[in-house]
Order: sequence, then C-alpha cells, then structure tokens
Amino acid sequence: MSHGHHHHHEHGHEHGHDHVHEDLGDNEAAPARDLSIPDGELPPGQLSRRRMFRRAGLLGAGLTAAGVLGGQGQAAAATTPGNEGRGREPRDGYQWLAGDHHIHTQYSSDGIYRVIDQVRHGNAYGLGWMVITDHGGATHAKIGVDKVNPDIVAARESVKDTLVFQGLEWNIPAAEHGTVFVAPGRGEVETLKEFENSFDGSVKGASSNTPQNEALAIAGLNFLADAVRKRRIPDALFLANHPSRKGIDSPHEIRGWRDAQPSIAVGMEGAPGHQAAGIPKPNGPGGGRGIYDSNPGPDSFPGYPAESYKTFGGFDWMTATVGGLWDSLLAEGKPWWITANSDAHWVHADTSDRGPNSDFNANGRYEDPIYKGVANFGSGDFWPGYYSRTHVGAEDFSYRAVMDGLRAGRVWVDHGGLISALVVRARAAGAGQRGVTLGDTLHVRRGARVELAIEITLAGRPNWAQFVPALARVDVIQGDVTGPAADKDAFTTPSTKVVKSFEVGRNSGTVTFTYQLGAVDRPVYVRLRGTDGKRGAPGLLGAAVDPNGPQIDVYGDADPWNDLWFYSNPIWVLPRR
Amino acid sequence: MILGFDTGARTLPEAEHLLHTVARELGLPGDAVGCTHFVPAGPAGEEPHVACSLAVPGPVTPPPAATSWALGDARTGPLAAGAALAAAEHADRRGGRIVTFPGRDLLTGTLSAGELRSGSAIDRVLVLASPDPPADDVLIVTNEHVRPVWRDGLMTLLTMPAAGGRLAPAEVPNPTPCCADHT
Repeated sequence: MSHGHHHHHEHGHEHGHDHVHEDLGDNEAAPARDLSIPDGELPPGQLSRRRMFRRAGLLGAGLTAAGVLGGQGQAAAATTPGNEGRGREPRDGYQWLAGDHHIHTQYSSDGIYRVIDQVRHGNAYGLGWMVITDHGGATHAKIGVDKVNPDIVAARESVKDTLVFQGLEWNIPAAEHGTVFVAPGRGEVETLKEFENSFDGSVKGASSNTPQNEALAIAGLNFLADAVRKRRIPDALFLANHPSRKGIDSPHEIRGWRDAQPSIAVGMEGAPGHQAAGIPKPNGPGGGRGIYDSNPGPDSFPGYPAESYKTFGGFDWMTATVGGLWDSLLAEGKPWWITANSDAHWVHADTSDRGPNSDFNANGRYEDPIYKGVANFGSGDFWPGYYSRTHVGAEDFSYRAVMDGLRAGRVWVDHGGLISALVVRARAAGAGQRGVTLGDTLHVRRGARVELAIEITLAGRPNWAQFVPALARVDVIQGDVTGPAADKDAFTTPSTKVVKSFEVGRNSGTVTFTYQLGAVDRPVYVRLRGTDGKRGAPGLLGAAVDPNGPQIDVYGDADPWNDLWFYSNPIWVLPRR
Repeated sequence: MILGFDTGARTLPEAEHLLHTVARELGLPGDAVGCTHFVPAGPAGEEPHVACSLAVPGPVTPPPAATSWALGDARTGPLAAGAALAAAEHADRRGGRIVTFPGRDLLTGTLSAGELRSGSAIDRVLVLASPDPPADDVLIVTNEHVRPVWRDGLMTLLTMPAAGGRLAPAEVPNPTPCCADHT
C-alpha cells in the first residue's frame, strides 16, 4: 500500500502525508477522535490523524459535521507556519493566502487563455492559490478534463509560489454552477472525469429543476466524499457559484448540499466574478455587474424576490442582504462560507483574441490566444487577483492547508484591495485569552462577557486601479443561532442585524476596534463587513436591520472601483448550557 | 374569459412565440392581454415549464397549436393542469408575466413613468430595492422590452436603476445565456 510519499513534487511544501491506516476503532488513533481534546492540545501525529478523519468525513467533528449546536467545537489549532510561499508574513498564526476558485481557460467553450496566462497574472496580482475551473460539459468531459492537466502541472512547476488546483465548473443538476476541486494527486484527473461524466447537469441532461435532478446533485457530492474516504483523492471541496444569478439555487437545495456532505460542500460565492460587466459603454460592457442580467425562469425558486437577480455593491443578494439567505444558514449554526472570485473568461480591455483555426468541439480547447491589438471593452472580467480576492488563513503554504482553511471558514473576502489584512478574535472579555478566529466557535460560560477584537491593516498602497482605497466604515453584524431551520426554504432570519459601526476614513496604517457583545446567554454569531462608503442604502429588510447597506448596482453604470466592500466569515459564540 | 394553454415550453421566448401564434390563429387583437406562467415540476417527473394565458372575448375553440388547454371548466390535453394554472393566475391577477397588453406597442424608446402608465394598461411602476414608486417624471429606458407582472391585482412594471439616473425594466431583453459548454 502506498504511503503517499510525495508522489507529486508539487506537494513538496507539505509536512508530509497522513499515514493513516487505522480505522476509528484503532486505539492508536484514540486521542485524535476524542473531541474533548482540543486540536491545539493534540500531539502533531494525533492532530494529523484527526485532520485525516475530518477530511474523510469519519469524525463528527463539531462544526463541520453537526453544526455548533451539535457538539464540542474545534479549538483554534496551534500552528507553525512555514516561510514558504510568497514571503507572506504570518498574521494571527496563519499565512493569509489570497486566492480565486473560479477561473476559465481555453478549455472552456467561452474561454480564451492558456492556464499559464491565468496563473502568471494571478501570481503577479498576489494570489497564493488558484483553481482552474473550466465548464463541465460533454466536450470537456471527453477531452478537456484530461488535456488541461499537463498544463496545470506545468504551471505548478513554473510558478512555484502560487498553488494551482485542478477543478471544474460543475453544472449542478437542477441548479447553478459550482466549483468542484480536488487536492493534487494521482487520482485528480480520473476522479474529476468520472465525477463530470456521472453528475454534470449538462452531460446528463439534468438541468431542469426536478426532484430527480436535485437528488443527482446530492449523489455527486456523495461521490466526492466517497472518493476522499477511499483515498482516490486526498481532498475535495465544492462551492456554489453566482448563486442568485438565475434564482435556480433554491434555499432547500443549498441546505441539502451542505447537510449531505458538510466536509465537501462548504460555501458559495458571496460575490460573483465579472465585476467589470457594469462599467458603462463605451469603456465597458454596460450591463449588469457580475453579469447578473437574468430574470425568473421555469426552474427558478418562485419565492425569490425580483431583487435577488441583481447585485448589491457587487455582492450576491444572498450575502448582501443582512438577515437574508446567508444569515438564515448561519443562524442554523452550521458552516457555510462565502468567497469572492474573478470568473475570468475574457478580461476587460484585453487586446488578445482567440487563436485562429480553433475547433473547440474536436480538440476540447481553443488554439493559443493571439495579439489582436484591439481592446475588448465588451468583456466584463478582471484577471484573477486583480479585483476579487478570497483570503484564506492557511497553516502553511500547501494545497492541503488552503483546503483546510477554506473548510474551516478561516476566510475573508475583499474587492479592489479595500484592506490589506484582517485579524478578528472573539474572546472572553478581559480574560487575557487569545480567543478564536474566523470560522471557529468560542465556547464560554453562560452569561460570560464576550468581546470581538478587530485589527485591520488598511490598504496602504495603490490597488491595480492606481489609487489607495480608504476604508470608510466597518459594520459588525450579529445574529442568534437558533438551530436547524424548520422550513428548508427559509431565506430570512429575524434576529440578525448590524449591531455596531466603526467609522474609519483612512487608507493607511492599522486600526483596531473592540466590540463588546456583552453577557452572552444564548448562541450567537458575529461577522464583519466594511466599505469605502461611496454607495449605500438601507438594507432590503429595513433600516432597523441594516441602515447603511450596499446599494443595488446600477444597470449599465456600475464602476466597480468606486463601490468597494469586504466581508468576513462568521465566528460563533456558544455559551455552555 | 381566460384561455390557458400549455405545450410544455421550457423557455420564455418559446412560450411567447406560442402566445403570439395562438392569438393570431384566434384572430385576437394584438393588445389582447396575454401572459406567461411558470408551472412547477410534476409528480411524475414532468419538468418545470412555461404555460400561457390569453384574455378571450368569450368561448372559443383553441387552435391546434394549443395542444393542452383550459377554458372555463373545460380541460383538454396532457398538460391541462398547467393550462388551468395559467388561466387561474391570470383571471385572479395574482401571477404571471404579461407579454401583450393595451398600449404595449407604444412603449418604445424612453418614456416618463407617467407617460408609461397613462399610455398603456400598466397600473403601477415600482423600483427594485426601493420602498417608493418613481415620480411621474422619472425616465424609463424601455429597451423595447416591457414585461409587467401581475402583483397585488395590478399590472405592475418592475424597474431597476439604469445609467444616467434613469430606470429600465428589471427584465433585461436578452439575458446572457448560461455559458456552459452544451456541445
């Protein structure tokens, strides 16, 4: 049996693979599966085992499986971050690696660029990790999924300080698109290929919103979990892309994915890509920001309001609405994280063109792009890392650590380089504790006073649009955790609202705030949002919930650089009963 | 009376084409109120789809293009349930998206909200994410594509903020197709 000794050298940054052959009944693994022992108190070998169990779905590990109300959560893991990667300075014990899990290449029927083009740009714009996600479909399943792999492997070789995952953009049966990606390894291509051939909505003709197709989506997630469990692939993740674009990701489908495989289905795009699509003509496409230009169709969830098809400050309605769908998921006490990505197909104002004499259907790819010399202002995409960033707190610079960080929700997102770094800790007030960070759960004595410590490193230097963005305000959003939703199609939660706002008005240096949650007598969660303050409006659920939320984007006139936001994922605070 | 009909159309353009065909074959005026309605997935695995409804002056004989229909208590065809749903939503003015209606042909170019209401059967204009209707002098860029909906018993045009301080119908004429590789 293989012990997986660096079968791919792109794994070389890792500390080594888990050599777990025990099952859960093995005494040697007992500490790893004893969840009363926090991660931070486990010896390294046992911590490694526990992670393996978690990834394999073998542990009902607090948050990822049962939700915060279902068991003891994870304590913050002690870390020894390496210095690999981009020379990034660890913050709060983690390397915060900016990334993008939604990127197309010449292996997409609507793409143009080589893998290496995207990777070199993403690397130059500061990304530490990227996922290549060409569209699922018959041609990709037959040809592209194989052919793209050598290009990805070559990109890993030539651009060492950006991790390049292979994934695909899954046509989720009965629903929208989603990113599916795997950790590198011998099984990455064959597993993705089998997944695509068996579960892609386009390949299977399973796009319509029927219960049968919804079940096929769940079966696809089960397949991925099984592939990890059987160690065909070291790891796999799924995130829903542009979830509100067509109204076809119903609330019960999202809950269904999350609840079926909580270690695989971990979140959604809080902001879609295509952020240049609202730049007015003639300098841009003059369309809907995010290419959110759709309207209800027969497969749409009938309960969604017309507003849900639009973006708000560049973010998807599910995330932008305080007290809305995302909050209704968080209020269940179960993880569901948000990300922000480029969805780069064809970059705004780029002067290249598809390679001549291309035959996508026959070759599964377009020929390499050429210089055309005419700026394409009709394109609405930015290069990966240029505008949208998903910052993941990774324990080291490795594929595994990025996936673990994403799964743990140690993630915040920003647009246009609004801020440089974000450190958030929830802790018992005045107790001198370090507390827990994003995605984690703080366990406290019932009635204990809790505070949220926020440290923001402001932009400090020009973004890629050549100005130094100023952070105008930071909002703390808080809601009650009330357990599993009785109505699986619920998309509001009553208690979540903006509870505190801090004015900033600066663009350099570091600012710190402390928000006092007070005596916590019931489970709650807190999350952060910040803005450049250029556009704002009362939230869709009223000014009492969100007095200064993101404004609906103007169709045909949405300058993405003058409407910048950051969002953090939540921290839960759970008083003992 | 309201005639409902259903051929299992999977897209709005397909349903609109059917709507025009049936209206023409019935000899109805171009401004007869005609709508599209969403029919959810059926218990036997029928796909969600789009049915249609048309206001007719009285009992009519539906043309062959309307393969399943509902008119009054009469029902014909395998998708009669979808046809009946469409007719009922239209009759009650509680659901459906209106494709043809009095004044529709005049709603071109840029009009004020007041002109739009006074010149057509549209009762009300609303703005997404805004509690208040627009003032009568706010300009609406029609994009030659105006599809109001039945809401609160009123023919309601939903609009969104557009360039130049104007509004535009929230429904965009040619939404970007799903970009997946369907080859």
